Amino acid sequence: MSNSTTLTYPLSAPPVVLSGLEPYSGPWEYEQAAHLLRRTTFGPTRAVIRQAVDQGLAATIEQLFDDLPMPEPPVNPAYDSDPNVAIGESWVDKGYSSPNPPDEMEYRERSLFAWTIGQMMNEEISIREKLTLFWHNHFPIAAIEDPRYMYRYITTLRAHAWGNFKELAKAITIDPSMLIYLNGNRNSFEAPNENYARELLELFTIGKGPSAGPGDYTNYTEHDVREMARVLSGWEDYGFTAEEPDSEVGAEFKPEKHDTGTKTLSHRFGNKTITNMGEDEYSHLIDVIFEQDQVARFIARRLYIWFVDYKIEEDAETDVIGAMAQILIDNNYEIKPALQTLFGSQHFFDMRNKGLMIKNPIDFLLSIYKPLEISLPEPTDQKYDAWYRVFGFADEMKMSYFQVPEVAGWDSYYREPLFYRLWINSTTLPIRMRISETLIMEGYFPFGANGPKMHPDLLGIIATFSNPTNPNVVIDEFAQILLPMPITDGQKAALKELLIPGLPDFEWTLEYGEYAANPDNSDLANAIDEKVRIMVKTMLSMAEFYLS
Amino acid sequence: MKRRQFIRNAGAAVSIPMLLNGFRLSALSKPLLFNGVNDETDRVLVLIQLNGGNDGLNMVLPLDQYASLHIARPNIIIPESAALQITDTVGLHPEMTGMNSLYHQGKLEVIQSVGYPNQNRSHFRSMEIFSTGSPADEFWNTGWMGRYFDDNYPGFPEGYPSGENPDPFAITMGYSVSATCQGQAANFSMTLNDPFNLSQIPENDGSEILDTRYGEELAYLLAIIRQTNRYSERIELAANNGHNMAQYPSTGLARQLKNIALLISGGLQTKVYVASLGGFDTHAGQVEDGDPTSGSHAELLKTLSDAVKAFQDDLQAQGLEERVIGMTFSEFGRQIRSNESLGTDHGTAAPLIMFGSCVKPQVYGDNPEIPFNVDVQEALPMQNDFRDVYGSILMDWFGVPESDVRTMMHPEFTPLPIVSCSLISDTRSPETDDGLAVRNFPNPFQDWSTIAFTSPKEDWVRLSVFDAFGSEVAELVNKKLSAGEHEVRFEGRNLPAGSYYYRLMIGNTQKTKLMIKAR
Repeated sequence: MSNSTTLTYPLSAPPVVLSGLEPYSGPWEYEQAAHLLRRTTFGPTRAVIRQAVDQGLAATIEQLFDDLPMPEPPVNPAYDSDPNVAIGESWVDKGYSSPNPPDEMEYRERSLFAWTIGQMMNEEISIREKLTLFWHNHFPIAAIEDPRYMYRYITTLRAHAWGNFKELAKAITIDPSMLIYLNGNRNSFEAPNENYARELLELFTIGKGPSAGPGDYTNYTEHDVREMARVLSGWEDYGFTAEEPDSEVGAEFKPEKHDTGTKTLSHRFGNKTITNMGEDEYSHLIDVIFEQDQVARFIARRLYIWFVDYKIEEDAETDVIGAMAQILIDNNYEIKPALQTLFGSQHFFDMRNKGLMIKNPIDFLLSIYKPLEISLPEPTDQKYDAWYRVFGFADEMKMSYFQVPEVAGWDSYYREPLFYRLWINSTTLPIRMRISETLIMEGYFPFGANGPKMHPDLLGIIATFSNPTNPNVVIDEFAQILLPMPITDGQKAALKELLIPGLPDFEWTLEYGEYAANPDNSDLANAIDEKVRIMVKTMLSMAEFYLS
Repeated sequence: MKRRQFIRNAGAAVSIPMLLNGFRLSALSKPLLFNGVNDETDRVLVLIQLNGGNDGLNMVLPLDQYASLHIARPNIIIPESAALQITDTVGLHPEMTGMNSLYHQGKLEVIQSVGYPNQNRSHFRSMEIFSTGSPADEFWNTGWMGRYFDDNYPGFPEGYPSGENPDPFAITMGYSVSATCQGQAANFSMTLNDPFNLSQIPENDGSEILDTRYGEELAYLLAIIRQTNRYSERIELAANNGHNMAQYPSTGLARQLKNIALLISGGLQTKVYVASLGGFDTHAGQVEDGDPTSGSHAELLKTLSDAVKAFQDDLQAQGLEERVIGMTFSEFGRQIRSNESLGTDHGTAAPLIMFGSCVKPQVYGDNPEIPFNVDVQEALPMQNDFRDVYGSILMDWFGVPESDVRTMMHPEFTPLPIVSCSLISDTRSPETDDGLAVRNFPNPFQDWSTIAFTSPKEDWVRLSVFDAFGSEVAELVNKKLSAGEHEVRFEGRNLPAGSYYYRLMIGNTQKTKLMIKAR
């Protein structure tokens, strides 16, 4: 293989002075639109990226945040023994026929998991699903057995995707799943349970500052954890399958379980006292916490790590994160203005920030499925099965929606110093490789070995290329669809070897031309298809493909 | 016979039998581990990470503290009659039959009340501290084993694997590399699930690594792909060479340990393996209502104990016992008082368990003293600093000189007599943990109390006082003192009433005692 390193166009080294949040004024072309959409959505197709180029940066940012109706809820795709839910109907507000019915719970859970993947699959230019996942990572849950609880939880996140962070924190504090996950439902006057109060401060809102003495984390103290647990006492979820299978799901305030005494916070919160406010007390507490500007900085940093980079330069800390925090404060914790400013900024489009993000498993999968247009079957039961298959793939790579491994989220978004790099290791690498190879070479069977095979129609994609008879164009345009940055001539030459081993370019022109003239000749089509599959499979196995 | 592989190089250096017979290796100028000729006799450390914060008080039962414990945790306490008694005053949870028999075979060690000053009660932060070995108020980016590897294999991952070091230095079983093995530039551990199902990853040439963030991440990916392939070849080889010679239970932890034994048996030169078991965050339902010997914590301890027993039996059957020691650790113990949900909340110090034929079969340290009036949120005071435990392993098991351990762990590192088969000549006094005479008066006290102790010889003395939440409230002594009697006055005038603990260290022995400030 030749090892030439000439690039199609030069990549600049990071500038000495980093750009800030001033509006982006550079070119708006495929490269920039792809960068924006790959970070804010899952697996944008070439058509969608081109649409963004045509409509311009400002309109694209607007569209990312366009209000959408809430999606239709998940349905019962095929289970014929749920007395409360017919096939094709939604189960999200339907009780169970008995406590903990294993089959009813299982089909509903699969339906929810599949449907959640479906939301990301179906979405085009909207940031909602990426933000929903962001919040899921931020306010995680795991091991909630009742799918109705999980549906309610994820719907709350989705509804607040770019809404008000303070309101979301309030809603999540008494969300039935969260009440179970962090034992809020066990927190009573008689038996305080501080689990939620601690994480609310440390991981959800204000974060820990430097240690400033015993039990004092600068932003709050151990004393605050205790007092806030008292504030939060008295909330319970109801409707759990094991106890009240036919009840609806919700949370309620039990005055007799609430600690009605006066709570006094530490000097970190100005020694503020909170007197009994009953069922409004939790909401008041969130307001008190959000009076601290550190909350804005904390969430701005989390957003930066999610959308830009885990390495935060000093300049970025002040000029970008600090500035985003100020926008959040000025807008009473509305998320949208801060994010829109970020995505329209010089900083976001700085060459320094491009192509550096190792895709998480869901992003990895959808950046194969969507850009390569792997078509999914239309019948509801088959479509749910196909979505569920994607869920299973992500699960294999250790990213399961609704099963966040730690209360701090997936470690790729908090654990120093590796962050995103934690997705990649000797266990997950071969799985990524196997899945991408299966999808391209064999297709996969979403419905067992006898079902239809799903795989991308690569010949169909090539037909949309500017000049499919030129092998260099075929490689360039697939690279444009799949890879974050230009590749070297050496890499292109190696890929071309897979299309026309040891042959001059015109051999491809001949072969493709012959196929194009006789598209119904399956021998000709298969010969081309096989070559292209191997080339695309190889492109997906390149380390470059793992980056976004 | 499998052993043959390990003594293949024996002619070139110290042979295994000499090691096994207790041959003193301190004469070697360089630790055996790094002279490159005797790698296959190298020593292995198996870490078992108990995720969630293990309730040590229901695992290692302080039988002489039961009067107070019955008051503090009436709904979850393990009945005294059910305890598996290993000493006069210490019992194990009734599900820990495997570890109980290991103790009686001289292959199990309990280290009491391991923690650190000002213990942090967040999972995330405390596991980070336990993995990095940092003080509670500092953020370190490298793991404690990672620093040891960094010292000996500078430049990693650049240039590895190499002819001299063909195998991964560490392996984390599972999907996520262990933070204990994080080095300056990369993590020294690779992840592994199934040693028989490793596939080669295509290594596509031609990438250009630019001096950009993109280039940085791309270079990392390429390095990991290449390294994974090279290491995978070695692992597969070892897996095919190795054997298991014991029956393992069918739990996830047992499967991890079984694979570890297989790779050790197959001759892999990996020095550290990390296994893990999750589910210890038992805020609720730790025990079953009305039957405190069963419940989720009981199941976890059974899983742990049975898996370790099978692993040790396997090593014994294959004659590998002298090469391997193991240790459990968790981010914190739990509070002394149970909650109303049949669970316990985040606490501080907890016992840690070591296993292998080269650990000292003992209960190291005293039972924690449980006061009659346990405060809300009160947890166990630290008796043994976890960095001393780690450091002693580095020193005795891996032959790292004490001065280097100080640099890697903490300046006040104190070697503990917890590992036998030491590679370092042992200048420490034999176990004298009952030898420290220390008391305070008055007790309970109003404004102050005098702490009196006897130092058997001239030695470095440290005396600190902690409150019931594990925060250090005073350092009373930290200097060399002459042999004989000493008295130090502790001023507690401005402190709230409640339990306090003072921890005395003289040389490498220590004692932690309770005193009460009257209400």
